[in-house]
Amino acid sequence: MSDQIPIDDFGADETLAMDFALGALDRAERRAVERRLRSDPAFRALVEAWQADLSPLDAETPDAAPPPAVWAGIAAEISPVKVAVAASPERPRLWNSLALWRGLALGGTAAAAIAIAQIGPAPVAPGAPPQLLVAALAGADGKPLLSAAYDPLRGSVVLTPATQRDDTEGKSPELWVIEGDKPPRSLGVIDIQGPNAHAISSKQLTGLAPGSVLAISIEPLGGSPTGQPTGPVVATGKLTAI
Amino acid sequence: MTARTAQASSGAAELSALLAKAADGDEAAFRIFYDRTASKLFGIILRILVERGEAEDVLQEVYVTVWRKAAEFDAARASPVTWAATIARNRAIDRIRARGSRPSAPLDEAMEVRDESPGADVLIDAASDAARVQAALAALEPRHAAAIRSCYFEGVTYEALAAREGVPVGTLKSWVRRGIMRMREGLEHQGFEHHGGHGA
Repeated sequence: MSDQIPIDDFGADETLAMDFALGALDRAERRAVERRLRSDPAFRALVEAWQADLSPLDAETPDAAPPPAVWAGIAAEISPVKVAVAASPERPRLWNSLALWRGLALGGTAAAAIAIAQIGPAPVAPGAPPQLLVAALAGADGKPLLSAAYDPLRGSVVLTPATQRDDTEGKSPELWVIEGDKPPRSLGVIDIQGPNAHAISSKQLTGLAPGSVLAISIEPLGGSPTGQPTGPVVATGKLTAI
Repeated sequence: MTARTAQASSGAAELSALLAKAADGDEAAFRIFYDRTASKLFGIILRILVERGEAEDVLQEVYVTVWRKAAEFDAARASPVTWAATIARNRAIDRIRARGSRPSAPLDEAMEVRDESPGADVLIDAASDAARVQAALAALEPRHAAAIRSCYFEGVTYEALAAREGVPVGTLKSWVRRGIMRMREGLEHQGFEHHGGHGA
């Protein structure tokens, strides 16, 4: 903590509350104050009083207009499913949003848009042999695009398109895996025009576990230039063990 | 926004109502809240972080937080703008602490992006308070007032500011704390209403 020697009629808590509201504390001190704010209403009231007293200073900070992409990112995060329906390839920034991907990974499973191939729950025993994982990847409109089956023994994902897409001319569909709230990880560009086996290198295997989400985005030829999805997400689906 | 001028006189009440709707999941209301406050919050964040891309990230985080915490907003305890601006300042300061340092030559770049267009309605309620705070700051010793400003507007730690000013940390803290205490006394003499909490 910073030195808490009270000055004049300021008590230690009053001084600390003021330091925090002013924004002058270092990282560790701020964390300690934040912990206390959650459990100490009297202290929180002191901090809020200082924040209110200092807030008129904000009037002298010039406004700055944020770019539209900020709202797009917010909208994606607060209502990922609705945005997924509304989004189109003309709004690439939206799909850059990590927040959206997190939203899909966390909230997407609840959405009717994502069909999951469930052939019954498979309890995972420690030391059990690797399981076959499957996912049905569907677009935001709920239409199945393809099914994916991951065979850990072969290290390959077998992709079986359910419908033909004719909008991938001159572009590369790319397969991604999203584990929990981590950023999407590329599993490489894929062919979604016909049934095929897509080999996955061994160092990419770790994320392929039940509960992870597979997603396909449409990228420039050769795949995402950034290592993160840049084009529209055409399908997502959750991996399930069978 | 078609009714911006009509809303100016009751900005805080309307923003509070929008937050209440957002707490019930009304995204359209939240969008209006964003449109009316984002320029102010972005200005605050940009002044602390300077780097635009990073400031945009933080602004996005801030509004997602505002959306999720909208139900916790209590109009009896804070104005909606102060509440949201406080979240913005805290996120920006957390970010700059995580980064460790701040780009130099910040202010000019931050000022270039000044937005002269609306959004100003949210400031109207605060304008007279701002004049009082300006007057109280102006009454302080200039070095003390400057130190208070640096902490508040740039999110600089006491340690960093002391190093910059070439004075011991204890001296710097004393400038700021005594300055602020005097400022608060000055505000009280002007009849500035306290926002509660003291003596708690």
